[in-house]
Amino acid sequence: MTPTSTQGKPAPSLWKRLQAGSIEQLHVRLESLIVLIVLAGIMAMLSPFFLSVSNFLNILLATSTIGVLAIAATFVIGSGGLDLSLGSVMGLSGVVGAYVGVNWGLPMPIAVAACIGAGAAAGFVNGTIVTRAYVPAFIVTLGMLGIARGLALVISDGRVIYGLPPSMVYLGQGRPLSIPMPVIIFVTTAIVMHCVLAYTRYGRHTLAIGDSENAARTAGINIERHRRSLYTLSGALAGLGGLLFTARINAGDPTAGLTYELTAITAAIIGGTNLFGGRGSILGTMVGALIMGVLQNGLNLLAVQSYYQQMAIGAVLILAVFIDQYQLRKETRV
Amino acid sequence: MSRFSSTFGATAMAALFAVSPAFADGEYAILMKTLANPFWGAMGEGVEAGAEEAGVAYIVQSVESDQAVENQLNVCNTMLERNPVALVTAAINSTNLLPCLKAAQEAGIKLVDLDGNLDPAILEQEGIDITFSIGSDNVKAGGQGAEYMVEQLGADAEGPVLVIEGLSGNVTGQKRAQGFADTLAELAPGLEIVASLPGDWDRGKAASITNDILTRNPDLKGIFAANDGMALGAVESVYAAGKGGEVVIIGVDGNSDAVKSIEQGRLTASVAQLPYLVGKQAVENVKVAVDGGEVEEHITVPTLVLTKEVMDAGTEPLLEYVK
Repeated sequence: MTPTSTQGKPAPSLWKRLQAGSIEQLHVRLESLIVLIVLAGIMAMLSPFFLSVSNFLNILLATSTIGVLAIAATFVIGSGGLDLSLGSVMGLSGVVGAYVGVNWGLPMPIAVAACIGAGAAAGFVNGTIVTRAYVPAFIVTLGMLGIARGLALVISDGRVIYGLPPSMVYLGQGRPLSIPMPVIIFVTTAIVMHCVLAYTRYGRHTLAIGDSENAARTAGINIERHRRSLYTLSGALAGLGGLLFTARINAGDPTAGLTYELTAITAAIIGGTNLFGGRGSILGTMVGALIMGVLQNGLNLLAVQSYYQQMAIGAVLILAVFIDQYQLRKETRV
Repeated sequence: MSRFSSTFGATAMAALFAVSPAFADGEYAILMKTLANPFWGAMGEGVEAGAEEAGVAYIVQSVESDQAVENQLNVCNTMLERNPVALVTAAINSTNLLPCLKAAQEAGIKLVDLDGNLDPAILEQEGIDITFSIGSDNVKAGGQGAEYMVEQLGADAEGPVLVIEGLSGNVTGQKRAQGFADTLAELAPGLEIVASLPGDWDRGKAASITNDILTRNPDLKGIFAANDGMALGAVESVYAAGKGGEVVIIGVDGNSDAVKSIEQGRLTASVAQLPYLVGKQAVENVKVAVDGGEVEEHITVPTLVLTKEVMDAGTEPLLEYVK
């Protein structure tokens, strides 16, 4: 959100001050927070099953894979880039991890490293081609979407690799203190990455490049190197998503993550990330992902057919961006 | 902004109230794959008919595609929050729902495997006990195909036969092809399977395979395809080669395209699965189990050989369930 330009005008209204406070303190748009709270309120009124600790953990668990991918999407989109290969790279990473853990029988830490490493490698390739060969990110990552998916099918021979080592399954199905492991990993990652994007030089450079590449270059940021590291980070996070998915269903599935890139981008945009770069925060994206998670969970609890859920999420996406644009126009008009 | 959020909230609330169903104790939770696939759609209809007839409360949920493995697990977990007495699942693969099934078992919910998607060996390894599984016997369906082919060609017939399998590695397709091959060898040893190739459930691929084999074996006597789509692809190639009516072609499923083709006298027969009946009988048996009765561990729903004669006569009681 643009800073409130109120010079020479009467004191800003309570709404304006709340908006500004939400952005400054939490890096979250007030509007998305309100939508989340209202939505949760509606669901709680409609379904007696909604308000419970176990259902709350359910929502977080269901959001964990997509949430990790949405973190990646926020970084890349925030820098003015795009990564369409997230879902496929996630599928590839999961298969690589399962292959190393099952077919090669190597210990869990190596399988985990292979999983995240495979994602990072795919991301590094994306970043290198985008920054050194000057092929548009849309094209490069669209190509990688096909390459990674195909490679996952080749490695797994088109079949699900079942029977991971128990210590790896624990990462997806374990419940220390009755909190699901994927939730712990997801929330920790989100907090760390939020701090990176909001408070470090790396994060500031990311958004600066997205805001204006020329200005960032003038300011002395090595744009090529930074971009490449962003795509590598995005791939590594997709690998982490693949790990959570694979450990959760105890199988490396070559079709895992189909169209997840679009869901991840949707979460980032609903959460207030600017599609053209320059603005974004991980907490905002988490609110976006939770809006989708609450919507899905609530509609499932109400036994609403899944087709309506897709419609609802599509509508929320358009609405979120509309509110954004509406406010922008109002501010520039005044 | 507030204007928009309140409009949105009011609309959403109205929409939700409109679709919100009643809650009831002793609910049956039924989790399907995607209802967009006519096979699963028919099974879902059977479930609803069975539940309404038995007078039990139920919810049916499905996911957006046959690949949505994680979302099916999420929906499954969410369904458990409603504390159903029974959980009937058509899992997308043999592993994706395992964590949910485990949690359901711990909560004392009865588990049912719809259409045999779970692997007994994996279930045992995971310590999951299902109440029963219900579905068609694919080996037997293949066998019925062979029986009908032999009926048409005669037990002492000789000549080449082509088998078009499903997707490589898919259990259902393998069982059908195996059932066909075993029964054929037993009933008519003179009919030799000259090729058994994966058609990947693909009509076009099955058509090319048929073309190739017809070139090599112009005297081809019969074709068995592991599903109707592939059988219909084979029909096209056979007619294009000018051999229409000379080759016995049999598919499996009994879908509406196949029924049309059989009526036109092009496809010889289809071993019809009866998904509607599978869904209906599943609910009926869940009720028996929930009420404390005994239920068989593996319930086999019959398959029906659909031919022009059977359809013209219209006396077969199972015809009612062909959708």
